[in-house]
Amino acid sequence: MLAGAVLVFGAVRMPFEAGLAKELRVSGLTPPPMQIGTRDKIGQTSSAVALGGLRTLVATFMNLRAFTFFQEQRWDQVADTFDTIVDLAPRTRYYWETGSWHSAYNAASYYINDSKLPALRRREAWREAILRGRAFLERGIKNNPGDWSLLANLGFLLSDSNKVSAFRAQDQTFAAAADAYARSAATGNALPYVTRSALYCLARVKGEEKSALALARSLYAEPSNRTPTLKMLLLVLEAFENPDLDTAARASELFETPEKAYEALSGHWQRTRERFPVHGVAKALESLEQSLKISPEKSIFKQAPPEQFDEDRWFRQ
Amino acid sequence: MSTTTDHVHHGSHLGRILVIAFHAFTQLVRMKVFYFLAVFALIAIASNFFDLPQHEGPEAVGVNVLRSIKSWSLGTMTLFSVVLSIVATALLLPKDVEDRTLYTILAKPVPRIDYLAGKLLGVLLLVFVSLALMDVLMTVVLQIRSTMVLEQQLAMAQSLGWPPDAIESLRAETALHGPSWSLQGAVFAVFLRASIMASLALLISTFSSSTLFTTIISFLIYFIGHFQADARDAYLQAGQAGEGVFARLAALVISLVMPDFQNFNVIDAVIEGQAMPLLILGKLTLIGLYYALFFTIASWFVFAEKEF
Repeated sequence: MLAGAVLVFGAVRMPFEAGLAKELRVSGLTPPPMQIGTRDKIGQTSSAVALGGLRTLVATFMNLRAFTFFQEQRWDQVADTFDTIVDLAPRTRYYWETGSWHSAYNAASYYINDSKLPALRRREAWREAILRGRAFLERGIKNNPGDWSLLANLGFLLSDSNKVSAFRAQDQTFAAAADAYARSAATGNALPYVTRSALYCLARVKGEEKSALALARSLYAEPSNRTPTLKMLLLVLEAFENPDLDTAARASELFETPEKAYEALSGHWQRTRERFPVHGVAKALESLEQSLKISPEKSIFKQAPPEQFDEDRWFRQ
Repeated sequence: MSTTTDHVHHGSHLGRILVIAFHAFTQLVRMKVFYFLAVFALIAIASNFFDLPQHEGPEAVGVNVLRSIKSWSLGTMTLFSVVLSIVATALLLPKDVEDRTLYTILAKPVPRIDYLAGKLLGVLLLVFVSLALMDVLMTVVLQIRSTMVLEQQLAMAQSLGWPPDAIESLRAETALHGPSWSLQGAVFAVFLRASIMASLALLISTFSSSTLFTTIISFLIYFIGHFQADARDAYLQAGQAGEGVFARLAALVISLVMPDFQNFNVIDAVIEGQAMPLLILGKLTLIGLYYALFFTIASWFVFAEKEF
């Protein structure tokens, strides 16, 4: 009789519990079931503890283990451990950001200098580590679509001048970075620099000059956004839209004086590493050099350009 | 017997239940179970110093420590409350038989349901008081630490000249990891899960032959309860993966017999800084009550037939 009562009791509660489980899963209040692989990796004891409702506690321990692997520069184990950690605590931003950072920055930098590998293998390992860091961050975003910081981190990684060649298709990468920053800003929680960063990336995408200019104009309307880079990009994008624009006059207007405009334009002219557009910059510099009576020897065009960024050098030895 | 229950009419069901509950509570307190609170205090304070490797920018400094305090504290609460509710309940009936108190009580006109409900209430009272004390300690430690973290972060933001809306966003994000109503809700969810375990252990102890048997079976069910939802999903989605009839039947039996504890894992989300809506807590309370009532009534049916 008791067995029958237990079954009836179970049948009555099952729809309610199943409904609540679904509701909790959809609202992100309970994580997806732990993967079988994770159960294997954390071992029997930790698995029991995690299944006993202490997943975040096990994740804390695993994070300590990951730090040891990091100190010992065992990158595959660092990545494996972070895969496990985020399965245990998929809502903790810190784990996604740290896991991605270890791969895309620490492991990638390690492979640049790994003397045990031939040059070609080092380059491939460097690239793979960066791509793995990106994929990890993208998984984090999929799990936490409203997290502004994860999106901003993705934007940062994709527009990092030290990494951009790892992604090969530059326009697509800068477009993806701009999109990540824009989605981050759209969450409503992002810091103000995020929207500006979206512009900095969009301005570097060929074919997106029109939308970049519109964004630059709307950002410039807010005085707190008027950083030197934003003013410069506004000028460059305006020059792209209207090739006849008097860029020297417009630069003097944006930077308040011709002297300040010349300084900013010179900086931008030499800032080649970030691959920003330079429409109308040379014309403005020439014009300002004439009006400011800068001697030909001191002309920015005579200055030695900063050392060109050449990542091939990293892998030559 | 007890001064606290003098005003309750001892002839009523409630009066008898309360007398037995306070007696069970006192009995357990005399077993010095509150000593573990000293251990908890140590863990709560020590978790302040578990300064995990920091890899984040200055704006996130300290948030990990707050998460660590919550994680350690709620983890310890879960562990203590489950162990306490199972062991204390498993201990009570055999102890009353051993001391022969049970015969004295049952010789009087005390319905067996009153006896069982009183014992369960005594254990739940003990678990509740323990959790409340741990909660106070955790909240105080968390409040102090989150104020310190916030001050540090605001000083950093102001020194960097952050605009007011950015500072407000930082403050709001850090506040998510400080003391909150959701955190109190998580502690209550810990209590609910322990209540289910206590009432289940009560049911097992009515037909079990020893304390050890009750304890082991209860812990087994506790762990299986965290898989129950997997079995239920397997049953509800059966056919998609071509499971056999036997596998489907096994999944159904597990789903119907075992309690589902996965829904109580909302505690993890609260540790990670999410808010728990009141409605969810209400639903969990309903589930907790439903289990406790069913297991107590089932215990009564078994216990009523038992000869001493």
